Amino acid sequence: MILIRCPYCDEQRPEVEFVYAGEAHISRPQNPNLLSDDEWAEYLFIRKNARGVHYERWVHAHGCARYFNAARNTVTDKILMTYKTGEPKPSVEEIAEAAK
Amino acid sequence: MTTFRRQGRGRPRQEKTVRFSFDGKEYAGVEGDTLASALLANGVHLVGRSFKYHRPRGILSAGSEEANALVAFDRGPGRVTLNVRATTLDLYEGLTARSQNYWPSLKFDITEINDKFSALFPAGFYNKTFMWPKSFWDWVYEPFIRRAAGLGPAPSEPDPDHYTSAYDHCEVLIVGAGPAGIAAALAASESSARVIIADEQAEFGGSLLSMPEAAIDGAPAWQWLESGLETLRSRDNVTLLPRTTVFGYYHDNFLGLAQSLTDHMSEPDPKEPRECLHKVRAAKVILATGAIERPLVFADNDLPGIMLASSAQTYLNRYGVAVGDNAAIFTTHDSAYIAAFDLSDANIRIAAIIDARATVDTRLIEEAKKRGIEVRAESVVTGAVGRFRVKRIRVNRVLASGVSAPEMIDCDTLLVCGGWTPSVHLWSHSKGTLKWKSELGAYVPDRPNENVICVGACNGEFGLKRALETGASAGGGAARLLEVKEDCGWSGEVFGALPTDRNETRIKAFVDFQNDVTAKDIKLAVREGFKSIEHVKRYTTAGMATDQGKTSNLNGLQIASNALARPVEQVGLTTFRPPYTPTTFGVLAGAQSGDTFDVTRKTPIDPWAVSAGAVFEPVSLWRRARYFPQTGEDMYAAVARECKATRESLGIFDATTLGKVEVVGPDASEFMNRMYTNPWAKLGVGRCRYGLMLREDGYIMDDGVVGRLANDRFHVTTTTGGAPRVLSMMEDYLQTEWPDLDVWLTSITEQWAVIALNGPNARKLIEPFVDGIDLSQEAFPHMAAREGRICGIETRLFRVSFSGELGFEINVPAHYGLTIWRKLYEAGREFNITPYGTETMHVLRAEKGFIIVGQDTDGTVTPDDAGMSWAIGNKKLDFVGKRSLERPDIVANGRKQLVGLLTADPNFVLEEGAQIVASPGQAIPMKMVGHVTSSYWSETLGRSIAMALVKDGRSLEGESIYVPMPGATIEAKVGSTVFYDPEGERLNVI
Amino acid sequence: MSSNQHSNELTIDQGVVLAPVLTGASHEVSVVLVPERARFSLRVKPSNLKALSEASELDLPEKIGASTLASSTKILCLGPDERLVVSDVTSGGTLRRMFAELSSQISFSYADISHRNVAFEISGARAVKLLNTGCPLDLCLRAFPVGKCTRTVFEHAEITLLREGEYRFYVELWRSFAPYFVRLLEKAVKSR
Repeated sequence: MILIRCPYCDEQRPEVEFVYAGEAHISRPQNPNLLSDDEWAEYLFIRKNARGVHYERWVHAHGCARYFNAARNTVTDKILMTYKTGEPKPSVEEIAEAAK
Repeated sequence: MTTFRRQGRGRPRQEKTVRFSFDGKEYAGVEGDTLASALLANGVHLVGRSFKYHRPRGILSAGSEEANALVAFDRGPGRVTLNVRATTLDLYEGLTARSQNYWPSLKFDITEINDKFSALFPAGFYNKTFMWPKSFWDWVYEPFIRRAAGLGPAPSEPDPDHYTSAYDHCEVLIVGAGPAGIAAALAASESSARVIIADEQAEFGGSLLSMPEAAIDGAPAWQWLESGLETLRSRDNVTLLPRTTVFGYYHDNFLGLAQSLTDHMSEPDPKEPRECLHKVRAAKVILATGAIERPLVFADNDLPGIMLASSAQTYLNRYGVAVGDNAAIFTTHDSAYIAAFDLSDANIRIAAIIDARATVDTRLIEEAKKRGIEVRAESVVTGAVGRFRVKRIRVNRVLASGVSAPEMIDCDTLLVCGGWTPSVHLWSHSKGTLKWKSELGAYVPDRPNENVICVGACNGEFGLKRALETGASAGGGAARLLEVKEDCGWSGEVFGALPTDRNETRIKAFVDFQNDVTAKDIKLAVREGFKSIEHVKRYTTAGMATDQGKTSNLNGLQIASNALARPVEQVGLTTFRPPYTPTTFGVLAGAQSGDTFDVTRKTPIDPWAVSAGAVFEPVSLWRRARYFPQTGEDMYAAVARECKATRESLGIFDATTLGKVEVVGPDASEFMNRMYTNPWAKLGVGRCRYGLMLREDGYIMDDGVVGRLANDRFHVTTTTGGAPRVLSMMEDYLQTEWPDLDVWLTSITEQWAVIALNGPNARKLIEPFVDGIDLSQEAFPHMAAREGRICGIETRLFRVSFSGELGFEINVPAHYGLTIWRKLYEAGREFNITPYGTETMHVLRAEKGFIIVGQDTDGTVTPDDAGMSWAIGNKKLDFVGKRSLERPDIVANGRKQLVGLLTADPNFVLEEGAQIVASPGQAIPMKMVGHVTSSYWSETLGRSIAMALVKDGRSLEGESIYVPMPGATIEAKVGSTVFYDPEGERLNVI
Repeated sequence: MSSNQHSNELTIDQGVVLAPVLTGASHEVSVVLVPERARFSLRVKPSNLKALSEASELDLPEKIGASTLASSTKILCLGPDERLVVSDVTSGGTLRRMFAELSSQISFSYADISHRNVAFEISGARAVKLLNTGCPLDLCLRAFPVGKCTRTVFEHAEITLLREGEYRFYVELWRSFAPYFVRLLEKAVKSR
């Protein structure tokens, strides 16, 4: 059971309080009607499934109930950093810095 | 009876005699013994049969690494634990155990024939042999294998014991209470840090307990141990956990500890839990798990009487038990000499020390000479002879080419030592890396993956002095040089396969005793092309199962490495997996058994349903009343009666489990517009609307009635099972896509008990109880919502109907739910009020063609598929799932559509889930065009009704489709999903 | 028939009964079912918190995990925009009228959840040990000081936990989860 730092609670909390919520930084298009079928399919279905650093969403379901973002290494299963919804995607350097 | 007790030897203890039984025979032992030490004290070496070949087996070790002496531990009915290591079983008065894997008796085992025909059972035998013919698997092979193999029969009774668990937190967790662990605990607990120290054994001390001669700072080491433990016990910040196995090391320093609480007790208090699972989160972990002595691989090295050298030393020095009268020693490591000297000093004859090494430390030779012990250097044991106990061994000198002719030496015990393997299991669970240390012939910890440090022998730091130093320093103690007196030499060589003059295809030299894997099997695996050690492991089963390769891993690796002609460090190492030693299901389940296996959510009205004799069914975590049978009624009779009574007069139904969300804020209607397919902006206050929710991919996710209580306040209902995921999807969109909206969501599912009244007399019943709401047809029409009072208590009263009859859903604060239900029920007697359950609710709604999300939809059904395009606000620019309704697959022809079915035979009720075909005469396999989603007997209509998803179903209206069932193919006509009162007139009863 | 006549015959049922083993006067640990309370889930964006605090004269805690404890009212900050207000039933009516009034002036939401939850007081020297049989949080005073609150889990149930004293905790959970929670506590207390 991993520990996850909730960026809203600003605390490390046990995994059982959280629920995974898929890849991060995929915004719902402002006007879906303007998208072609292919573009809409891309938004709906296509995911990175990254090996290594993966940007993903979690929700502190049994805590503050907030959705937030995390950068996790899918090889080591280590969460490298977490940040609030709406904050920009951190660079690899920022993640390395935070992981220290 | 001969006794092998040695007076004056062993740990100081009260010599309290306890009686125990093994294989039905009574023996006497001493309190403080293990089953193994007590058996040895009685001269019993034969304790079991092996797993595959059913060879006689004895006691190999004195600890949890035991691979041979696995017994069935019997604490009475339902309390038989299999494969318990006799070496870890604490003796108590009345202990009962049995040997395993034989039939009909331990000394006469018919299946021992497996051994004689072992040429038939090489590595991969099962994979290769039982392939063909396929039908033989069920009838011949599997039953045979199941009888012949396996590690004892599984118990058939439920486990009568109970177990407990707890989350523990500490700054430092120390695993292993040997000298290194205790030194670490003493140092770490000097501050206020919370320290937990756990050891699998009953007595703390580890290897120190077998070292009566050692001294620390001039005093006996046992004295240091006593005072050290006293200090630890006196500190509030220290938790000592004896009989506690750290079985698994998980992410972020989360470790599983299984503590045995009552298994060692003669008459445990039945209220006491048997075991406790400690789920420990530690800031830092110190592993002081020691090392395991390695056996040597030679022909028939599994005979009873062949034992690890240090274990013989432990039996003598700790338990005061001599393992034999005449012991030979076979070693490649100095440490076995010390064992030989200890035994010799206790008047056990040492037949010879056979050392495979060319050169031996002269000091050891001197010590041996002093005791008159013959040392045969550069010699190997190439065989052991005996039926149930070793009688003599075959010894050859190693020559430049091959070995000399054999010479036989008599002995009743052979002590072996092939070096030491650091116990890196837990380190490996934690994903720490290992490095090969050739001078030790072993892998030792390299880079950690967690905040963890290995100390003492498990780090390859052998000897008492290094154990104390590394332990204290890991615990944060100041470096103080201890003066340590110890006997042990720590030098050795690693051989893996030993030279022999015998035909290697004809002998059995065991590597993995528990899984009956020989050196030959490993070589065969390599010859057959298995190059990865992980594949060799799976093919031969070496190092698998409950043993996890404690005594076998490195020997197997050495042999594979020789066979592959590659250095060990290039061959790699197999993965160690939790649990370190077998762990009971009971302790893992903890309190999650019986009535607390999981949550059973009950509504406020549940006690009434119980007293009314309801039959319940689980719906997500809830239990709901399914029907209320009267005397002599089965479900069908009860449901028919409940349906009829509701349609004719009045039914009462507990709808509390419906999910409810309060959507509040200035942007509430905008939010509802975006989440649901329907338009909400123009829904007036005090009105309800059926809401349909899609996922972004366009498929139906949930539905429910929504009431608008104020401009900025909606009372949203969801399906029972969908409540959590609907709220979480709403929160997701709100928080991450539309954070600008001023609207908030609160789950109010449990705030309100919901009493649904359906039937023409529903209004008449509630009228006298309601205050502040005009219930007339004009003032309170169908699909209206009002706030007022019922029985003096606030209510949110909805006029809605899931049955097609005049209906009300009465929301009352949950703590009043039962009392108001009772009141309405009593008053309803004059209308023959009839309680009904979910089954009747399903029938009533199906008669009206109302769908159940998850039954008539399956996650691939669009609103149009379900015939619900009417629920889509076409003028809305966007809502969740809207764009997907234009996806090519979703607008294409040939989708499955929801239709009604009426069977040609009105008495035949179709099977839900049954497949549908277009014509009955097709060749098999027929082309399936859909399936039945809902099917019931309708008492109201006097016939069966069904709904189905059928390809292009709506275009088939009036046509026949067919449902092939065992024995007959059923014809049914496609029609509307609304079977009853299509005009909806029943809603308007005055 | 007047409504008073009706309500006089009504009984409150919180849906849970405590076993004697939990309520017993043990100094080590005891569990008490808190009688009926008024509860509101109060939601307001941080930008409007001050305005709401002032207008309501409620001392709304700002930080997640913080609480304000007055004799009749507890306020727990459970999320960045979420506060749980627990008061006695009489004050509950006053609060509701005030919230209704304020909602036309300030953008915020209140939802009545008085009967959604039930509450327990767990106290005694072994309170932490008892809670840790199902709750994975570190409840030592350093990590979880007096006044701290949070939502978390107890085995399969979600709970809201507030520390009111070194040896005194206040636990709320959804009504239908309470019997499960109580049964687990009972098993844990019985097996020490």
